This record gives sequence, structure tokens and C-alpha cells, in this order.
Amino acid sequence: MIELACKHLDVRIGGIDVAADLSLELTPGEFWGLLGPNGIGKTTLLKCLAGLSPPASGQVFLESRDINELPRKLVARHIGMLQQHTVYVFDSSVMQTVLTGRHPHLAYWEREGPNDLQKAHDALKAVELNGFAGRSVTGLSGGEARRLAFAALLVQDPEIMLLDEPTNHLDLRHQVQIMGMIRDRIGRGGLTAIAALHDINLAARYCSHILMLLGNGDWIAGRREAMLNETNLEKLYGCPVEMIQGRNGTHFHPAAG
Amino acid sequence: MMPTAHRRLVFFLLVILSTASIIMAAAAGSVSLGWEQWTNALLHPDSEFGELVWRLRIPRAAAAWTVGALLSLSGCLMQVLLRNPLADPYILGVSGGASFATLLGMTIGVTTSLLPALAWAGSLISILIVFSLARGEGPWSRTRLLLTGVVTASGWAALISLLLTLGSDSSLRGMLFWLIGDLSYARLPSWALATLVFIFLICLGLARSLNVLAMGETTARLLGEPTRKLLWLVYLLASILTATAVSIAGNIGFVGLIVPHLMRLIVGSDHRVLLPAAALFGGFFLVISDTLARTVLAPRQLPVGVVTALIGVPLFLLLLNRARVKQ
Repeated sequence: MIELACKHLDVRIGGIDVAADLSLELTPGEFWGLLGPNGIGKTTLLKCLAGLSPPASGQVFLESRDINELPRKLVARHIGMLQQHTVYVFDSSVMQTVLTGRHPHLAYWEREGPNDLQKAHDALKAVELNGFAGRSVTGLSGGEARRLAFAALLVQDPEIMLLDEPTNHLDLRHQVQIMGMIRDRIGRGGLTAIAALHDINLAARYCSHILMLLGNGDWIAGRREAMLNETNLEKLYGCPVEMIQGRNGTHFHPAAG
Repeated sequence: MMPTAHRRLVFFLLVILSTASIIMAAAAGSVSLGWEQWTNALLHPDSEFGELVWRLRIPRAAAAWTVGALLSLSGCLMQVLLRNPLADPYILGVSGGASFATLLGMTIGVTTSLLPALAWAGSLISILIVFSLARGEGPWSRTRLLLTGVVTASGWAALISLLLTLGSDSSLRGMLFWLIGDLSYARLPSWALATLVFIFLICLGLARSLNVLAMGETTARLLGEPTRKLLWLVYLLASILTATAVSIAGNIGFVGLIVPHLMRLIVGSDHRVLLPAAALFGGFFLVISDTLARTVLAPRQLPVGVVTALIGVPLFLLLLNRARVKQ
């Protein structure tokens, strides 16, 4: 059971406070939704949690060791991140791209074995890209590229998944499919995820915990039921929100506009 | 990814092409040899034609092959390093330093045998200037490296122009040939071959890391690469490859730009396949170009850089066009 935690974390970017004195523990079994308006620093916070950029102060711990002092290869075996955008400068095949997820698990001269190939095939199948293995990545649609990036994350198989807007570019069915897949993997035990989301209803349906970035470094965090309500959401987005009880749980809609 | 059988076939063909090109280079020249004379020359290195083949043509072909392989490998690395398919081995000023040092040597009349050492020293100075200025504190910045390199290269170009304007008419021709890239006096020093083999093996070990690096620094770090260290290592390896090539044969253009592209179109972008394919094809390409350079207008010899450009440009445009049609 691998745990990601941060203590007294100050995250800043370009003179803006993203989060001040943030202390969190992402315990296995939890699925965190990271909510906040555009430009508030969701990506910056995720990058800091991934050890990509050092915090202004405070520390991020992977298994109680400072993530910025661990070798990247070790970190990559436990933490994976789905980035918001993927840009391919050089052409490459779908299979080759999805296999890059095995990179942290292989030694320098090692080649991917049958086991790695099997994982890659399974992941492509899971995101409905089977049959795409030989296709070129530059010819994929936005949604297909997104699912390919997610498949590479599945192949990397980290205990902690950091997801930057995982449902971007995806149609309704694939949104539900991917969010469901993340929740199911977490449910099987030993895993944690935190996903930056703009869709409150996806957060309401799939996440167990919510972290809201309110601006000026202010944040609130807690269990979903306690966090998702009209008061918090109106404060978060500066827009009136209406809460509707449906057959499948609570739904949120903008109340005006 | 290419199927294994397909990959083997491509490598088989590339090895055949390289071997055939060297055999052809040994046979062709301003003194044309009949089949019997030629086999005789191969078997008797001490005969008149034997000397010609073993002392002149084969060493020159070996030098051409090695330089072609060095430049093609360097091109592959530079393109990943700068994440730009337009990068070539000379973009960061390595060859500029070498050119200035060599031309300075020619101006003040240093003996020819010392020129490769001077070229190496010039490259090294340029590598160190760019490295120390672009390194800075904080994260790796491709833009900073690119700008530092390109500006350093322009600085060298200005100094080279100065030497050319000051140089005597008799030395200008030699300088020009060197700047275009010429293998007329090239011999293959064993250290150059050793450098090629050694760096090639390192690169092959790094090949999967290069694949990841080509997807961007952030992706590479997320997949476990210490990118800052890795990128500087790639910079140093590419620069040493370039410096070695330039010290043997001057600034031969287009090989380091075109060969990586051609091979990417044929074998794909997996560096475990791309690097050996580019090295083999680069060697073949330069041997053929050099053979043409000394035979087309024989007994007059052209600088090989002219031929690489004349063959390379249309070949490249043709293949690029075909690749687009296929897509």
C-alpha cells in the first residue's frame, strides 16, 4: 500500500498562490476530485504532487520519503500522470506509444517481453483502441489520442494516478467508461487517484473525496457528501448553482445564465 | 512497430548496401580497372593497382562510411535533443568552432596533418562555450540551448568570413573545399572508428530513453527519466560525434539532416531500430556520394558536400512526398 501525502505545502506559480499550507493524505481506496475555476492552478498542483516542479515550501511524501529526493525512475513506478495535452512532434505507432508506459519498469538494455506486450494489448482493448496498434499517433482524433494516453497510464500501472482533466475530448460514453475504470481499479484495492475535473456531476458520481482550490491559496477538502453543496460550489465558481436530486444521486446545474 | 521479420530484412539490405558501396568505391575511380585487374589488385596489395586500391580508395571509402555514420547518428540525437525534425548536427555551432580553428590553421600555414587536431580543439571550445552559457540554473530550457547554439554558430560564421576575406588566394580553394566538406585527403583514424562504436553502443543502451524523450520532457520525467542529466548527455554525445566527423572531412551538409528523416520514414521512430539503420544508411550514402564526387568529372574532384546536397535534396523531397501520399 503506497501512500502519497503532502505537508504544509505552498504551491505558487508566477506570483499567484495556488495552495497555501496544504496538508493532505491520499489514502489507497480514495478517489479525489480536484475542482477549481480556470487558471486557478489545478495543473500546477498536480505537477507538484508528481514531483515535476518543487513546491515553494513544504514537502510531498511518497511513502514518507520526500518525492523530490527520490530517483525519477522509482517515482515513475508508483506515480503516473495523465497530462492535459499530448503533443506528438515525431510520428510513432499507437503500440509503440502505449508501450512507453513500461519504460520505468525496464532496465536500460531490456526489451519489452511478452508480458509487457500483453499488458499493452489489454490496455488498448480496455479503451476500445484494439485494432489501432499499427496506426500512426498523428492521425488520431482528439478523443482517440486521449484514450491512448490513458491506455499508456494503465500500462504504466502506478499505484497513484494523477489525472489532469481525464475526460477532455471524450464523448459521453467514453467519459463514463474511463471514470468507471478508474473507480473500479481503486475499488480493487491499493490504488489512489486524484483527478482535476470541470464536470461537477462526474465528480459527484465517481469521486469519494473533493479538494477545491478557491484562489489566493485558499482550499477546502473533505468527503464528497460534505463538500458538494450549493454554498461551496457557488463560492468556488462565482456562479449560482442549483442542486437537483435525481434517481441516480445528486446533480448540479448552473442556476442562471 | 515493425514486425521482426521486416526489420531483419531492412537490416540485411542495409548491410549489403554498405558493403556493396565500399566495394564499388574500391573499383571506381579516375583509373578504371577491369574485373581481372581489380581482383588481382585486391589479392596483391603490393602491386601497382593493389596500392591504389588498398592505400587510397579503401581507406577513403572507410573514412567516408564512418563520417556518414557519425553525422547520421548525431542528426538523430540532435533532433530528439531539440525536439525538432529540422535540427542537424551543425545547428549548435560545433562545426563552426571546428571550421574557424581549421581555417585559422590554414591561414597561418599549419601542416595538414595537424588540421584534424585543430578542428577537434575548435569543436571542443565551441561545445564548452555553449554548454556553460546555456546550462544556467533551474530547469532545462531547450530554447536557451537552441538560441545559445545558434548565436554561437553565427559568431563562428562571422569569424570564418573574416578569415576568408583575409586569406591569400592560394589558400582560399582549400578553405572552400573544407567548408563544403571534402574527403580528398581523408584517412580513417582508428580513434574516430572507436568513437563511433563507443558512442553508438551508449546510444543503443539509451534508445528507449530517447523514444520517451522524443515525447517531451514532462512525459519523459513522468516515465522515470532524469531528463536534465539525460539531455546534457545527449548534447555531449551528439557534439562529440559531430566534432569527430568534421575533423575528418569538414562540413559535409545534408547527411545529418536527411538520413535520420529517410530512415524514420522507412523504419519508424523507435530509436532501437532507427539508430543502427541511420548509421548504416548514412555510411552507405556518403560512400556513394564520395565515389560520385571523384568520378563524375574525373580527373577533376568535386567536394563531396556538393554531391550530398545534389543527391540528398531531390531524394528527400521525393520520399517526403511519397510518404504524404501514403498517409
